[in-house]
Amino acid sequence: MTAIAQAAPGPWSVTTRVIVYSAIGAALYALFNWIAFAIQIPGTENVSVRPHYGLLTFFGFAFGPVVGFLTGFVGNTVGDQLAYGSAFGSWWWSVANGLAGLVAGVFPFWMASRMTSTGNKAFWAAVAGVVGTIVGFLFIWIELIIQPELGFNTILTGEYIPVVIGNSIAAAIVTPILVLAWEPLSEQLGR
Amino acid sequence: MRAAFRYLGRGSWLARRDPRVLILVAVLFVFGASQVRDVRQLLVILAAALGYYAMAGIPWRSVRLQWIYLLVVVTLFATFNAVLTGGQAGSFVGTETHLLLALPLGLTLTAEGLSLAASQIVRYLSFAAVGFPVAYAIAPGDFGVALRRLGLGDRFAVMVDLTIRFIPTLSAEFGETIDAQRVRGFDPLERRGGLRTRLRRLAPIFVPVTVGSLAGAEDTIDAMDLRGFGTGKRVWYRQLAMDRASWVVVGVFVGFLIVATVLNATGQSEHYLLPFLVP
Repeated sequence: MTAIAQAAPGPWSVTTRVIVYSAIGAALYALFNWIAFAIQIPGTENVSVRPHYGLLTFFGFAFGPVVGFLTGFVGNTVGDQLAYGSAFGSWWWSVANGLAGLVAGVFPFWMASRMTSTGNKAFWAAVAGVVGTIVGFLFIWIELIIQPELGFNTILTGEYIPVVIGNSIAAAIVTPILVLAWEPLSEQLGR
Repeated sequence: MRAAFRYLGRGSWLARRDPRVLILVAVLFVFGASQVRDVRQLLVILAAALGYYAMAGIPWRSVRLQWIYLLVVVTLFATFNAVLTGGQAGSFVGTETHLLLALPLGLTLTAEGLSLAASQIVRYLSFAAVGFPVAYAIAPGDFGVALRRLGLGDRFAVMVDLTIRFIPTLSAEFGETIDAQRVRGFDPLERRGGLRTRLRRLAPIFVPVTVGSLAGAEDTIDAMDLRGFGTGKRVWYRQLAMDRASWVVVGVFVGFLIVATVLNATGQSEHYLLPFLVP
């Protein structure tokens, strides 16, 4: 009797599953970006929570860094195209979204030994979402070069801080909810 | 609710070109226009971009709201930036500013700030003028093959293709889920309540739509695996061909990128202080 050993795909391999999950993630993210759900945080001028942002960190956390990056990058690009007709006008924001998904996707590989139960996994999903947001959106500082009209203060107070606060809240709440909903189903499907 | 790429420019001069041209032009243009700071040069670029936009034959009434929204958002953001920087950004850093209006909290509106805002607004509008044809003058089914022929991998091209195909389906599922919740007397999109309440109210749409799509994805994955996706070189049914006009358009925009890069590198495109704003 012979046994065929099949190596588990690594975090960076691009399989059919990665392609399809990325496409679904990007389509959902683009759709919700287009519908533009945003809930203003009371008492703030320009900080709003986009709940669908949690989808991006969830796709990264659940399916790996490649899915996370493609969901954020392609989803934001297509969403901008649907909403404003300008896919590449703010390409650096799309890259930042992609990087946030990528960082959230790398997290489970670093923290694999600590994620022993579903509850534990949900907790680390929230942490991954927040860390991914803080790190990924550092990319928008490239505006200092490509958008010279924006000063340091505008990028910090008008963009980076509001976006990181709003998106971190969304990631911390929505990512674990989706992880808790997906885990039992993924076990049923044998994934 | 209907979310899909609308092929509004069907039959126009640009729509008859190879779809790769429209994508390439948008990329070349963004990298070129990003390097230009002088509002007078940017106005020339905007005029050229609008000429290009006109060739896409996009009906005004179909995109009117998008243009208005874009103009309002960009103007608000540029004005916010003008106030916050007080004109001390870009080429005006370290220069003496001309005060127009003193605002509370030590903020100021200066001639330099408004000049910077003008550059920003004109640049964004030109981005939109060149970006709209990508959305509306390329047949939605041509995106994947166009990206492939631009040198991106088969897998990435298929992924973008699938994304575009999934959007209308997921949009319909999303609408059905909202309707199903409303039939049960629960309105997930109700605007009442605080942040936590409103976030919690959205869970009954996000969770079923997301998890349902992922469960449904298994069929797509199986179908692709059964057809041997990714095991060899993929053959695309749709063939693309660059005609002479397509090459000319690409050549013009490559030329623009070169000129913009030279202007930037030689310091000939610094921010321009609009003279009529100086008191």
